[in-house]
Amino acid sequence: MQTNSFTEEDKIMSTLATDDTDHLLISQFKAGSMDAMEKIVERYEDQIFTFGLKMCGHLQDAEDIVQETFLNAFRYLKDFREETKLRNWLFKIAARVCYRKRRKKKFEPDRELSLDSFVTKDGLTSNYEIPDLSNNPSEQLERNELKQIINTSILSLPPKYRFVFNLRDIEGFNTKETSEILGISTQAVKTRLHRARLFLREKISEKFKEGEAVQ
Amino acid sequence: MKECKYYFDKISEYLDGELGVNVCHEIEAHLKECPECRHCADSLKKTIQLCRETGKEKVPSEMRARLKSALQRCLNENPCSK
Repeated sequence: MQTNSFTEEDKIMSTLATDDTDHLLISQFKAGSMDAMEKIVERYEDQIFTFGLKMCGHLQDAEDIVQETFLNAFRYLKDFREETKLRNWLFKIAARVCYRKRRKKKFEPDRELSLDSFVTKDGLTSNYEIPDLSNNPSEQLERNELKQIINTSILSLPPKYRFVFNLRDIEGFNTKETSEILGISTQAVKTRLHRARLFLREKISEKFKEGEAVQ
Repeated sequence: MKECKYYFDKISEYLDGELGVNVCHEIEAHLKECPECRHCADSLKKTIQLCRETGKEKVPSEMRARLKSALQRCLNENPCSK
């Protein structure tokens, strides 16, 4: 007679943070499947590449970041206990790779963005013009130009704000996940995100106005 | 009555749905009354949407092939599941 409806496998599954697909692929990889490794790469390579490119701005650096992230991941995947989602674990590795790369290349130093710098003397904010893509979805050229403006603006953020912005607003991690990936407090994530957004609004609006004036 | 600066500091958390119901109601009431803060919230929301919509990239195909062979080479040299 069965006294407990939960099997050992059920108990293990209930403590795992990874989703079913990742759990299966990780198990297959641990059993030696190269196919599982390729499927893990396929699932996450675009996301890690986006993160790498938006953190450093160069294709070659982004490629290095993707490669080093997956090499490190597969080196240590056998010890991964699935207490966090695979995606979050991969981004934690990717963030470390970016930090290391930045130190090696002597990237620009971090600087503080003061909240007061976004407030004008006579009022709270200026008049910002932010383009709306949904009004004109067919204009591919305009979309590409906008993408260029946005990428340049993101790259001009001081690195500690860029890390938070890319994880929160581009990759969609929540505040707690971002704090765990970067090893900072949730309050620091909120503060940096708010300032990063204010900075980007200013930059994008300025560049958009300049572009309008040229045309 | 709180100053606009109070709401300005909280606007990101408001847009992210990270504030309590009471604070949200307070902010919404202020936004109805204050066109400057309304513009601030709207333009910030549009900035976030724009960055999200144009933010994703795809690994170029030649890079994808290089990555695949680099990983296979490395893992064949140092098999980690054994």
